Amino acid sequence: MTTSPRNPLDFAPDDLDRPFWEGCRRHELLLQRSRSTGRYHWPAVSDPDAGREGMEWVRASGRGVVHTFSIVHQVFRPELADRVPYNVIVVELEEGPFFHSNLVDCPNEAIRIGMPVEVVFDDLTDEITLPRFRPRDAGTER
Amino acid sequence: MAELSARDCVVVGVGVTRQGRKLGIPERELRREALDRALEDAGLCRRDVDGYIACHGGVVFEDLRYLGLGPLFSWSLASGGATAISALIVARGVLALGQATVVALGYGVSPSSFRGGSGYGRYGYGYPELFGMVGPSTSHALHAQRHMHLYGTTSEQLGAVAVTQRAYAALRPEALGYGRPITLEDHQSSRMICEPLRLLDCCRDTDGGVCVLVTTAERARDLRGAPVRVLGTGTGHNIRNWYERSVYAHHDDIAPARERAFGEAGIDLGSVDVAELYDPFTISVIMQLEEYGFCGEGEGGPFVAAGETGPTGRIPTNTGGGQLSGYYATGFTALVEGIRQLRGEGGATQVSEAEVALVSGHGGNGGVQNTWAHATALLGAGL
Repeated sequence: MTTSPRNPLDFAPDDLDRPFWEGCRRHELLLQRSRSTGRYHWPAVSDPDAGREGMEWVRASGRGVVHTFSIVHQVFRPELADRVPYNVIVVELEEGPFFHSNLVDCPNEAIRIGMPVEVVFDDLTDEITLPRFRPRDAGTER
Repeated sequence: MAELSARDCVVVGVGVTRQGRKLGIPERELRREALDRALEDAGLCRRDVDGYIACHGGVVFEDLRYLGLGPLFSWSLASGGATAISALIVARGVLALGQATVVALGYGVSPSSFRGGSGYGRYGYGYPELFGMVGPSTSHALHAQRHMHLYGTTSEQLGAVAVTQRAYAALRPEALGYGRPITLEDHQSSRMICEPLRLLDCCRDTDGGVCVLVTTAERARDLRGAPVRVLGTGTGHNIRNWYERSVYAHHDDIAPARERAFGEAGIDLGSVDVAELYDPFTISVIMQLEEYGFCGEGEGGPFVAAGETGPTGRIPTNTGGGQLSGYYATGFTALVEGIRQLRGEGGATQVSEAEVALVSGHGGNGGVQNTWAHATALLGAGL
């Protein structure tokens, strides 16, 4: 599965999420954690209780479960024409936050809510690495 | 019923242009035509309008001159499908504070004609777009899939929403689905858009204009437009559900909006005669029916499949066909139909003796969390 290699920072309003995407290039999944509340968030954020103070990027486990998903058949953009049908999953990360991504190494028909998954880094170019997920049982196959 | 004051906000005029696909009419001309129709309906003239709220998501500098309006203020309000009711809430405040006496809520867009034909179906949410997550149908599919997982909701039950609403639309000449009822088989054989949503689970962008004129109860007594009172309003935003990790278990943050609106109106759910719920997708109706309390949690699918939202059901819902089969006017669809029902203008789908309408809207989608605002209005017939 491939995505048109658009740079994630094209979607960023500023540089506040840059550490996350640089982490992906190092194959590290980073989350924001509030030192005060211990809650994890993604992406750059202020904690509803503790605010921006004490917010730090920390490395996450990369593990989670499929919280919900869809198989997209409609070609919403010309560049997605050769990808349909493709999946979009929402991973509920072990640390709590939701993360939109794709599930790889798994046929669309086999995707189930509650499936354990783990992050796998897809190096699209030298500059662009996207975090996708695969079934956790398939972890040793790549 | 709550004690009414002279400052209470009353709808006295509604103008709706032709609604359709690819009409090719300039957007401000749609807004102009809707305004004229609303003024005619209310028995007001341009110079009576001393407040303007632009509800089409854009700036209004050119509009005012083109519309020929000279209000004391002109504000833009943008919250997607929650805009219409949100503007109504602002207008209530303005009237109550004596800042204006007649406020026009103006809307008119041509997404199927002038925006590259892409309309609203292809917008992105930021980073999720990197993974092919594009458009509101995908985001609502995530809610639908989760609802099916939690409660066993089926595609056929989603289809029941589409079929029920099309049956209403088939009887309403102004609806896009007029004269064209559909069957559950039609729904089930319609092509998949984003599983589990099929083509007939989705609404379509519509070109068209709407204008709603509101004033005080005192002023409304002297006008010819059939008055509809705003009994109560409320809002909620599901960013709160995002923080609590429950955003996919709930369609909206309805609880605070509902409690505020019903508390203000001093009525309970049993007083509601007709529901006009914001329905970009079939799942939206099912989940709102549950969260407003018309049925239990997870029971929305069977509730609709049993015909409870139809003309003889427990709560006739989206009686003009809604957005799915009527027309998509970004939250005005529901507001207009609620007003029509209370004025007895519902034609072949008029709910007999409708006294109270529940109207909802949601929108302003955005961010990686793709959360949105919800707004509730309770409307009452007469002064």
